[in-house]
Amino acid sequence: MDEVVVEYIRRTVLKIPRDEIMAVLQKWGFLSEAQLQTINFRQTKESISHSVAQLCEESSANIKQAALLDIIYNHIYPNKRAWSVYHMNKTGEETDFFDFRDFKKKFRRQIQSALINVTINFREYEDNAIWIRIAWGTPYTKPNQYKTSYVVYHSQTPYVFISASTLRSNLPLLCQAMVVASNYYNIREMELRSHCLNSLKDIVFKRYSQNFQTNYPLQERNVLTENEDLRINDENRSEKERIHRLNQECFGDGPQPKLDFAQYKLETMFKSDPKWDVLEKKEPFRCLVKFSSPHLLESLKSLAPAGLADAPLSPLLTCIPQKARNYFKIREKKSLHPGSFVSP
Amino acid sequence: MLGVFIAAEKQKGLAVDVDGELGVRVAMSGLPELRGSEQDPAAVLVQLFLRSSLSPKSSEEKLIWSGWFCCVAGDDLLEDLPENFTCLPLFLVNGAESYTAIVGSWFQKTFDCCFRRLAISPLNLTWMAAMWTGCKVDKNTAATELLFSVPHLPQPLDISYAIHPEDAKALWDTVQKTPGEITQEEVDVFMECLYSHFHRHFKIHLSATKLVKVSTGIASAHCDGIIKFLQSQYLIGVLMLLTELAISQIQ
Repeated sequence: MDEVVVEYIRRTVLKIPRDEIMAVLQKWGFLSEAQLQTINFRQTKESISHSVAQLCEESSANIKQAALLDIIYNHIYPNKRAWSVYHMNKTGEETDFFDFRDFKKKFRRQIQSALINVTINFREYEDNAIWIRIAWGTPYTKPNQYKTSYVVYHSQTPYVFISASTLRSNLPLLCQAMVVASNYYNIREMELRSHCLNSLKDIVFKRYSQNFQTNYPLQERNVLTENEDLRINDENRSEKERIHRLNQECFGDGPQPKLDFAQYKLETMFKSDPKWDVLEKKEPFRCLVKFSSPHLLESLKSLAPAGLADAPLSPLLTCIPQKARNYFKIREKKSLHPGSFVSP
Repeated sequence: MLGVFIAAEKQKGLAVDVDGELGVRVAMSGLPELRGSEQDPAAVLVQLFLRSSLSPKSSEEKLIWSGWFCCVAGDDLLEDLPENFTCLPLFLVNGAESYTAIVGSWFQKTFDCCFRRLAISPLNLTWMAAMWTGCKVDKNTAATELLFSVPHLPQPLDISYAIHPEDAKALWDTVQKTPGEITQEEVDVFMECLYSHFHRHFKIHLSATKLVKVSTGIASAHCDGIIKFLQSQYLIGVLMLLTELAISQIQ
């Protein structure tokens, strides 16, 4: 057991950028300041990791401490994992007082009633975020510390952020445990996924600057601040400013939440210019469109000013933060006949 | 000769040696079936095998790299070729880039030729998209997927646009009206249809972005010259297209 734990700690340290290892170990607090001083941080990462492992072995580090280091690592570098967002529903209106100890007990009990071979650790942070780390085993094998799922839960909200990683088959058990432990009624997966955990939080907690429709025209701002050379005359000045203004209305003023992609399943009809004399099908033209970028919304925002898209950009794209989703299924809007029912 | 060259190059440390023992064997053979017509020269296959370092005397070998020269239906396009001159303009490679570089430089030195990645322009990619979409395939074939890249934005953007193969083929069948041949105009209309359907939804002008990859159930092609063959019955057809592209880049 000790060797496994020490090796696991060593591999966790290897993941950390060299210049930040000291700070992370200090946050962890397992090794004393005196012990940390003995490590030569100018070695290669490989050597540093061995030094740390040596110290941990001497200090008899156990699985709980190793798990804590992993939580701290993932809390500092959450963008290494892919996160999905879940929403929980309550039956009544009451907001129960959140009892952390009770939550932990119920969560643990729910998981272990189905699968005893798990390692579960909790850590509460200042912003009311609870981080839960689960290392999964099977009915016949001990928990594999390298096969982990993470849950981030803000107790004052109905949102849960889950990074299931490899073992998706345990997801239903995980969701059930969340619902029971937090005294909610049910849980459903939202169509919202990204590597940037903070951006997902920004979107669901509405912490980004939203677009707004005003009845007053936005102040005309001078877009061209860089080139103050008056000899350069911008032929398209008014068009540029129009695009800029419409972009502001769609995307708002501030920085956009960071998403990696958006996916659209299109099941709409194919309509074309009659002069081409082509496809006139009665069935939908089935397509799958996927936009990918290191920072999707900023990228989309720059399309119209770059001349690659019309302004305003399609609401299918601009609605992503408000609708809190990046997976869409688009069907043709059907025209309403009087007297017919429209199912929700 | 090639084998000696490779060994020498590896001694210089120009190639990554994983196993520690430099036991690379070169095998060259002809592939007479791989041609479009009788006029085409036979294809030539080059393979590199790595002998296991654990037992140098054993016959256990691993194929680590293969490349083949071919020319498919190039006869019409290669005019003014002197007699006894064999032209194999297309070279397909599978394996590590380091070996490709070594083999390529040996051929360049020995035969006074030029090895270069086959760059496939967006225009050629649209032809491939149209032609391959129109091919008849069985039920569970892959979608027709177009990959567009917009690199020069503050944050680069990739757009993948995949159309259900039946719907894509249905569209192409109504566009392609000239019997027995495909015209540039038909390819243009096909692409315009796809662009306008996209624009209707997203207000983005795909025609202003760069088409970098096309995938269909037949084959896929990337602008950097990376090809995947997915249907053996259409292998010769795809090779014909690539041969034509290769020859056009010589001239």
